[in-house]
Amino acid sequence: MSQKKERSQKAEKVIERMGQKLNRQIVGSLTACVHCGMCTESCHYVLANPGDPTYAPAYKADKIRKLFKRHYDWTGRVIPWWVKADSVWTEEDLEELKDTVFGKCTNCRRCTLNCPMGVDYATFNRMARGLLVSVGVQPEGVAVVSKDQWELGNQMGVLKEDYLDTLEWMEEELQDELEDPSVAIPVDKSDCTVMYAINPREVKYDPRSIADAAKIFHAAGESWTMPSEGWDQTNFGLFSGDDALGGSVARRLYEKVIELNASRLVISECGHGYRSTRCEGPNWAAFDIPFEMESSVLTMLRYIREGRIKVDKSRNTQLVTFHDSCNNARSCGLFEEPRELLNLVCENFQEMYPNRAENYCCTGGGGAMSMSEYTPNRLKSGVVKADQLKETGAEVVVTSCHNCVDGLSDVIRHYELGIEVTQLVNLVANALVIEEKIVVPVEEVVPVEEVVPVEEVVPVEEVVPVEEVVPVEEVPVEVAVEEVPVEVAGGEVPEVVSADAMSLAGRVIVVADDEPDQVEFLATVLEDHGATIYRAATGDEALELARREKPDLLTLDLHMPGRDVGEVFEMLREDPELEELKVCVITGRPELRKLIYDRSVRPPEGYLDKPVDEERLLLNVRKILELAD
Amino acid sequence: MPETLQEETTLQINKSVVRLIKDDVTDIEVDAFVYYAQHDLQLGSGFGGAIAVRGGPSVQNELDESGPLKTGEAVVSEAGNLKAGLIIHAVGPRFQEEDIEGKLRTTMENTLKLAEEKGVTRLAFPAMGAGYYGILPGVSAKVMLDVITSHLEGETCLSEVIICVFDSPQFDAFQSTMATQ
Repeated sequence: MSQKKERSQKAEKVIERMGQKLNRQIVGSLTACVHCGMCTESCHYVLANPGDPTYAPAYKADKIRKLFKRHYDWTGRVIPWWVKADSVWTEEDLEELKDTVFGKCTNCRRCTLNCPMGVDYATFNRMARGLLVSVGVQPEGVAVVSKDQWELGNQMGVLKEDYLDTLEWMEEELQDELEDPSVAIPVDKSDCTVMYAINPREVKYDPRSIADAAKIFHAAGESWTMPSEGWDQTNFGLFSGDDALGGSVARRLYEKVIELNASRLVISECGHGYRSTRCEGPNWAAFDIPFEMESSVLTMLRYIREGRIKVDKSRNTQLVTFHDSCNNARSCGLFEEPRELLNLVCENFQEMYPNRAENYCCTGGGGAMSMSEYTPNRLKSGVVKADQLKETGAEVVVTSCHNCVDGLSDVIRHYELGIEVTQLVNLVANALVIEEKIVVPVEEVVPVEEVVPVEEVVPVEEVVPVEEVVPVEEVPVEVAVEEVPVEVAGGEVPEVVSADAMSLAGRVIVVADDEPDQVEFLATVLEDHGATIYRAATGDEALELARREKPDLLTLDLHMPGRDVGEVFEMLREDPELEELKVCVITGRPELRKLIYDRSVRPPEGYLDKPVDEERLLLNVRKILELAD
Repeated sequence: MPETLQEETTLQINKSVVRLIKDDVTDIEVDAFVYYAQHDLQLGSGFGGAIAVRGGPSVQNELDESGPLKTGEAVVSEAGNLKAGLIIHAVGPRFQEEDIEGKLRTTMENTLKLAEEKGVTRLAFPAMGAGYYGILPGVSAKVMLDVITSHLEGETCLSEVIICVFDSPQFDAFQSTMATQ
């Protein structure tokens, strides 16, 4: 049939390397399919594209299966026409395969669960992704993220100094919130019980979740630390199929736990991070794990069960539903623990159907959002998730996965569902009842002689020093609580942090957005805090105002009429007169991040997903302008 | 010396020393470091992103006036606000292409030649092509150390060549190759 066909170097390598990837599980799946069609009904891509058979898992699997049959299975050598054995020859063949394995499947494994023959399509789809990546045939977004994680140790290219700065910032916020200067986010502290590893999305887009986790560790009296390196618990190797990347990333984490002599690695809420770190990583890295690993969901649940933290569920009154992350639930069996925790911290929980192992993918696929070329198809397939969400009537959807947060937010925005997305750590932190502590400011203690006779008072240095926080039982007996003015912190800790105290007086800010309501909201909030505001409705207007007014900050919507916003951003960055300008992206279209972040100019100093509330806006503006100082 | 140096091993070759460390190659104080560049000299992500952020826009601006380069070629730029003085952007082989060892050897030779022309005395390399570009750490180590060793055995202004890797498998591969030199 193809006797004299010339095969490209890349195609040759794909075939050659396939042989090295075949194991019993993959060969079993490649040979067992009987094309019964059971998988078809289980795939959200098929359900959203009922007239298109190319989305059927069995059809997609055959694109890979034909290579196996042709090159590695005896049936393909003897009766190739019967078993539909075939090969890849050109780069176009590889590109076509790329669009199938990356663009038409999120590797959610729902078809695997529903296959009577036990065919694990996602496993060999991942193998195919890895083969293509190894010869450089990959979506642009996959290349960007892989390179970031290989070389900088995290998926989002967060630099070490920015990571450490964010931890410090969150520590300060928490100290303000709890009015307790002893609250800390320790870094590289040896011999702790817990080393806490996070998703870089938390540093870049959701630092509040770091503060919430720190608040919980603090309330539990946990001995914990975060690492300065090896802190990214996510692993793009799971998505891209690159086992070497998977091993390298996992090893960096494991080695850091050992270096710090922690006894437990706690993984923040992230589906693919949990699966790759706890389940797959030890194999990829060929690493014997001498410590415990657990999801922070279990950690928080344990704290409540053991009475180490107290929660008040009446603080979370909205109707919430729960979305099972495919990696957490279907692949790792984390079903009941998040629900138990949810019921402890929320008053109104409404189950979503189907759920647990049968739940549908959020469309995020543990990395699918990095591939903007497939966004329309991905969002189309999200109709299944949107219907599921709508059916619950919930105001809030909770999930234990950062990818799911982004995937769900995207679907909710696209289908205009108006549902808020949050994680368990946020709800637990909100429900947390902080143990009462007494703050005895010195200026309120003196003059001591007005309280009790001098001779009955201990020397001043033994009285509580300035602003020190002392648990009730440790207050020196000589200081009678009813006689000394005290300030009780905790109990009714305000949820809103001290952003209100911030003044933006003297700051000039350009607000660029084509939605008048959004401009008015942002401008009003910032003006109320003293900033001078200029409004822009297009990229060109933003550019002109930035050049004319030399603002301290520009808030930039990513989707405006006229000139491409990515181009505007690059022009701003390249203007030598605007070197000091800080930019905060505020967008309702997270898939457009690529427009900005893929450019080889300094990235924005801040990023916010719409809808933005006043608190988040002010916190981020404050952070950005503090950097500017 | 790099501030965050964790582990190291050294190799003396005539008057020069080759030092193996685990660190971020874009964030160390040297005369120049090598960036495994793309053909179009766009900095891109990974170390390229770190160069763009830490170094400022001047690095890419300067590169925009050069290139594109062929595999094996290299070009020098200033390092902007980075701790290093210069960056040598070297385009090496990638992703299972043919004759990886030969092309990597040429890339290394051109890079060292450029370093000499610029009078660099302390030069840092990443594990060339290992990691994202898929060259096995053992292959990268063998070719790099072969070329570096034979270069330092001749006339050179390089007093120190740092090989700056980012994970244990790379470190182990270079360490064991150095032990055989």
